[in-house]
Amino acid sequence: MLFFILRRSIFAVVLLLIVSAFTFVIFNALPADPAALTCGKNCRPEVIEANRERLGYDRPLIEQYGSYMKGIFTGRTYGEEGSSIHCPAPSLGYSYDRHECVTTLIASTLPVTASIALGAFVLWMGIGVGLGTLAALKRGKWQDRVATAFSVIGVSLPTFFLGLIFIMVFVIWTGILPFPRYVGLTENPFEWFMALLLPWFVLAIISAATYVRMTRNGILEVMNEEFVRLGIAKGLPRRRLIVTYVLRAALVPIVTIAGLDFAFLLGGALVTESIFNLPGLGKLTLAAVVNSDLPILVATTMVAAVFIVVANTVVDILYGYLDPRVRAK
Amino acid sequence: MKMRSKVLAVVALVGLVAGACGGSGDGAQSGEESGGLSATFDGVKDGGTLYVLTNAEGASTLDPQRVYTGAELGAWGSTFTRTLTSYKPVAGKDGTSLVADMATDLGTASDDLKTWSFTLRDGITWQDGSEVTCADVAYGVSRTFGSEVTAFDGPQYAVSYLDIPEGDYDNLTAYPGPWLATEDEQALFDEAVSCDGKTITFKLKVPVADFNFTVSLLAFAPVPEAQDTADQYGLMPFSNGPFKVETYEEGKELVLVRNESWNADSDEVRSPKVDKIVWQFGLDETVIDERMLADSGDDKNAIVYGGILPENLQTVFGDDTLKERRTDGFDGFVTYTMLNVKTVSCLEVRQAIWLAIDREALRTAAGGPFTGEFATSFVAPLLTTDYAPAKLLDGLNADGKSNVEAATAKMEEAKEKCPEVYAKATEDGLRFDHPDTDTWKKYMAIWIDTLGAAGIKIIDNPIESSKYYATINGDQGDLMRAGWAADWANASTVLPELFGKGGGFNYHNTEEDPAFADFQAKVDEAKLETDRTAQSKLWKELNQYVIDQVWSIPGSATKAQNIVGSNVRGAYQWLPFGWYNLGDLGLAG
Amino acid sequence: MSDAVASGAAVSEGLSPFRLGLARVRGNRGAVIAFWVVVFYVFVAAFAPVLVRILNIDPYALDREAINDFGLPAGPMGGISWDHPFGVEPGTGRDILGRLMYGARISLLVGAIGTFLTTVVGVTLGIVAGLRRGFVDALISRLGDVTLAFPSLLLIIALANPMTQRLESWGVPAGNTARITYIMTVLTLFGWVYMARLVRGQVLSLREREFVEAARSFGAGTGHLVFRQLLPNLWPQIIVFVSLSLPGYVALEATLSFLGVGLLAPAASWGIMLGDSVRYYRAAPTYLFIPGVTLMVLVLAFNLLGDGLRDAFDPRSDRQQL
Repeated sequence: MLFFILRRSIFAVVLLLIVSAFTFVIFNALPADPAALTCGKNCRPEVIEANRERLGYDRPLIEQYGSYMKGIFTGRTYGEEGSSIHCPAPSLGYSYDRHECVTTLIASTLPVTASIALGAFVLWMGIGVGLGTLAALKRGKWQDRVATAFSVIGVSLPTFFLGLIFIMVFVIWTGILPFPRYVGLTENPFEWFMALLLPWFVLAIISAATYVRMTRNGILEVMNEEFVRLGIAKGLPRRRLIVTYVLRAALVPIVTIAGLDFAFLLGGALVTESIFNLPGLGKLTLAAVVNSDLPILVATTMVAAVFIVVANTVVDILYGYLDPRVRAK
Repeated sequence: MKMRSKVLAVVALVGLVAGACGGSGDGAQSGEESGGLSATFDGVKDGGTLYVLTNAEGASTLDPQRVYTGAELGAWGSTFTRTLTSYKPVAGKDGTSLVADMATDLGTASDDLKTWSFTLRDGITWQDGSEVTCADVAYGVSRTFGSEVTAFDGPQYAVSYLDIPEGDYDNLTAYPGPWLATEDEQALFDEAVSCDGKTITFKLKVPVADFNFTVSLLAFAPVPEAQDTADQYGLMPFSNGPFKVETYEEGKELVLVRNESWNADSDEVRSPKVDKIVWQFGLDETVIDERMLADSGDDKNAIVYGGILPENLQTVFGDDTLKERRTDGFDGFVTYTMLNVKTVSCLEVRQAIWLAIDREALRTAAGGPFTGEFATSFVAPLLTTDYAPAKLLDGLNADGKSNVEAATAKMEEAKEKCPEVYAKATEDGLRFDHPDTDTWKKYMAIWIDTLGAAGIKIIDNPIESSKYYATINGDQGDLMRAGWAADWANASTVLPELFGKGGGFNYHNTEEDPAFADFQAKVDEAKLETDRTAQSKLWKELNQYVIDQVWSIPGSATKAQNIVGSNVRGAYQWLPFGWYNLGDLGLAG
Repeated sequence: MSDAVASGAAVSEGLSPFRLGLARVRGNRGAVIAFWVVVFYVFVAAFAPVLVRILNIDPYALDREAINDFGLPAGPMGGISWDHPFGVEPGTGRDILGRLMYGARISLLVGAIGTFLTTVVGVTLGIVAGLRRGFVDALISRLGDVTLAFPSLLLIIALANPMTQRLESWGVPAGNTARITYIMTVLTLFGWVYMARLVRGQVLSLREREFVEAARSFGAGTGHLVFRQLLPNLWPQIIVFVSLSLPGYVALEATLSFLGVGLLAPAASWGIMLGDSVRYYRAAPTYLFIPGVTLMVLVLAFNLLGDGLRDAFDPRSDRQQL
């Protein structure tokens, strides 16, 4: 087992190195000159050259990549004495557009995205697994139909359309909820909750749809297995059987997939953050797109990739733990 | 400077002062509305928190040497950055008169107008209680030169006026700014800007009659060298005004609190009322409008930076219960479509474009008459001294609609006179550069449709909004959109900048036109003219000249509408900056 | 197909799995309705230029009469009238119905071509990996791992503008051609993995089956193996995959245009309309609802159809039916 974990972890690190190198190359090989973007209108070539040197864009790409990776562990200082800028470890670069170390920007936006992702995750698992179980138990009855309809409609709703409809209905027409405005959890838990309620539901409804289907099919499949048939035949109480055996067995693949979805969301809920004006990683990225702020784009891509790879690895290890056949492969 | 990022210093404005004389009665009509009760100080109490709601992700910068956005210049100046001179904090025409701020008077000029000196008042302090010295002012001014930090973001008057030898640095002088200067180089600057006790003296290389207006720009504000964090200074500047920056986080908020070290006796300009000013960034524009209309809770104490969405004008100006808290008036900007004289070198083609375009449709797409009046000059109507409606092109419809016949006739002429440009316009197409926004998608539909009727082909070239001016600075299309307002009440900050040699905002490539020499000669003459009446006559003639050459097509003299929360008082339009006087706002109730 | 089978439960010996599946789909009422909805959209998209003429509407013509002095649609309900059955676009007065019909062309085009490219690349790589095994298989599988490690939506958005410029500098016609090319390319680059994994798994199990073994023992070439033996057995999976990825791509194009990195004016994209409509929800709520519902119905129809196909073709869900 230990060997398996080790192997998976090494693979994850290699994967991350490849992804980071790839990201770095893509963004730095773009037609947009990163140095030219450091200074606005009326910029003279000399300033661009000075900044190019200061930020290291004049050096070969491989060397730049080296300093970038080194900066993550040791921090990085740009420029010579006088007007130098220091970004402490873990440094993910310096945004000339925002005049801030990228790490600082990510650190301030990540909690927002994490808040969105966490709440949405809890909700969608609740709705998805709940409705899915109901549908499976009442197979063919109206509950099953409603759950199935919900799942098909949910999957078909574009996030931005549902978000806009929610704002119109709950905020503008009926005024049940206040205009969403993000407040930190530690500042005011109630306002934090109120601001995130709609985004949570939007994401939950859209994602839950898939989970309804998975849970339903998963449970039905498990109930077909020998041990369950045997249990039913032996006259075990149905409820206990379902809760203790069926659900547990059916949920394992679902939880692992949920882990991946959660990781994806942590990388930035682009559309949701944009519609509800939540200052998270997604909005940071979108603003960086508009401003062609390459250091931020490289960093957010990498951070999101880290989440995905880590989640993947954890899920794999978990799977290996639960199912010895995977380890052997 | 681009739209919404230029100081607007303007004199003599009858319409706006006259107040709410239009706009009543049947539905919503654009007239001048000055804000009713909210513009007064009735019932104002000391204290409270004022909120500023904005769609912007942050301030452009808080660094005095880098800021160049009209509203921000006024906002930072009235709260945490004092300057030698500033504008009178009152509504209307008086608001554009200059008053002494940190200086004891409006400055003393030598006979040749090449030496100006100002003396600092006693008792002006920084937020840590230390005294604001003459050296701080000189140091602040020197920062403009350090382009590796200030990046030419702010106005460049220090560079173009101060008597420092020419040189090879980025700013084309021999002085690279305080961060990189050697002792010898610093001596060059200290020669041009010198201190004698509390008196600062500026030596200029050209005579400047209104240099005391120039020093009211925040680019001439003091910065204490010990507190200078170079390129980070814009995030946390040091205050010498009644407010100071408590926290500033882009995408989130800027919190200004009262500066306890500010000495009211040293300041005859500012009279702060609220305890705290909180800017909320990154709000959705539609949400801002909804909150302002709902006027509940803290939003009663809120103002908006950015104005009302055109989509909501009908709602806001159709409802007379909002009369006491809404404003409507010219904002001092003129929008126009620049023609690249180098690539569209044929006068007839340029005339045809002007005749063919449906200005009425463009204005309707923007939101109708509330968004502005058809411009007849590149000088805004607010700048009354230099403004005169020009005689426009023959055949142009007064109602702004296309004159396809006249346009087609002009194109026929062009076919004979300049077949190359004609072929380009009809076959290859003319490239139209514009910022990539939803509204511009509609403008382009109109441009393509109406010019197409006259046989002119348009190639759409949207550019990311934030990079728009930087992009066309390097690569100009055949047509380009722009907007401009004066730096202060003189067309010298308009026509030469837009069309003259070395003009900071001249993307027309006018030098390529044979008609340019005459224009430039007259510009030089006007600049040196010290008699203001004679000078304004020259400006009017020059404006007519540009209109006749169709180097650019004037669009609208734009108007702005705004709304404040019901508790807000003192929300008068401060003309020099086209927004409220932030530091002067108070709350009632 | 004269011997149409009425019920999905009827399993007759003589039918191929493919025909069997088709017959089952026909028994699924939801899927049948969804199918006709999709046909309707395709029809409208294909004949949009003719239909707008018959209906006497024009998606590009400005109509000053249909908007008031504020640039907002004149009259209630977003300017719905006989001339403009779905109302007009604020600012320009262009007809929304006409624009929706032209928008359908773009949505379906992007969805169809994107799905086609993804499927071709995915199936090819999947078959290659499954047949070759060894190093090639490992390479393709690891490439898949790397691809999936990227935050795809984020990267697609971040690269949209610069990569479009790069494509234009390579000679792709500027404007929407370059933009659509970009969208297709990235959709394929990020989308092939799922298809490839699915096919690889199938190929691995198929190659061990008797009929493949038999064909091979008779000395059948790779071409014969792929086109005669493997592909016919992969059709069900491919159809299900296609029908489920189409709606995803249609929605993605709208999302990208909504976020401002999709298509350019004056193209009539549903995403552009929705992005624009946000500001007008007060003055013209129909401008948001009508394009939104139009998009939703298409995606929903695709999903229902896809579900129906999956139920019909996927043996596992088949087992659950019994």
